[in-house]
Amino acid sequence: MTGTISSAEPDRVATRRFEVEALPWLDDVYRFALSMTRDESDADDVVQETFLRAYRSWHTFEPGSECRKWLFTICRNVFLRLRERERRRVDYGGDDAQLEALASAQESVGSIAEHADVLSRVDLGPALERAIGELPEVFRSAVVLVDVEGMAYNEAASVLGVPVGTIRSRLFRGRRLLQEALVIFGRDAGLTAQASCEV
Amino acid sequence: MYLTVTQTVAMDCYDVVRQLWDYLDGELTDESMDAIRAHLAQCKQCYPQFDFERTFLEALAATRREHPAPNMVRRKVLAKLRKAGLEV
Repeated sequence: MTGTISSAEPDRVATRRFEVEALPWLDDVYRFALSMTRDESDADDVVQETFLRAYRSWHTFEPGSECRKWLFTICRNVFLRLRERERRRVDYGGDDAQLEALASAQESVGSIAEHADVLSRVDLGPALERAIGELPEVFRSAVVLVDVEGMAYNEAASVLGVPVGTIRSRLFRGRRLLQEALVIFGRDAGLTAQASCEV
Repeated sequence: MYLTVTQTVAMDCYDVVRQLWDYLDGELTDESMDAIRAHLAQCKQCYPQFDFERTFLEALAATRREHPAPNMVRRKVLAKLRKAGLEV
């Protein structure tokens, strides 16, 4: 049994386990932090604090469970504290009802699939990255965890501390907003008629 | 649009499209996965939608660039951990 790293005499086995199991996820945690903060300096702070907290509470990590998910959960909590402290963006408010109403209003784009041909001619990568960055945070987190990081719904729900149904709902809204952004991107690039994609 | 596929488990287009993302995410029961797969194999109405959503999700997944943490961040993290007692 490994002891607690936070004890006066650090357990070398636990310390070694932290090095082997947690530190390799630094790039992933940084990417996730950056997706939430959208600011490199803030992501830097969030990542440092995440690993410090993770190290101090390593004794609570269940051996054999998924370390990346555990770190992401800590990272998310650190981010939320940072956001709460700074209160620097109104749309970070996390008011799901308000944001979902906004998303609903924007869902009138009709059959997005009609634009499949247009979108297939667009270099989606840069447009998608920009669109992800512009999503309201509650949707962005769900999209990043599931669609970019490849987590299952229940894993993302665990990281964000919400029910699986909420993940499903946020994904739905987030993906639709991204598709609409791509259609607008295609329109602005002159690839689709303006009338067909007004929102 | 309700095009009923009668083979295997009957599932109409509405149900298929409604569950398309769950299907692509592998979040349905085996039975539902099979039913939708069977429907898509036969339905010319739903397949283009499926194909579009699949392409869209693949493009999303492809945005996961290996985005390494800057060396400065790595150094700061390690310095902080050393200060807290980690021997790295």
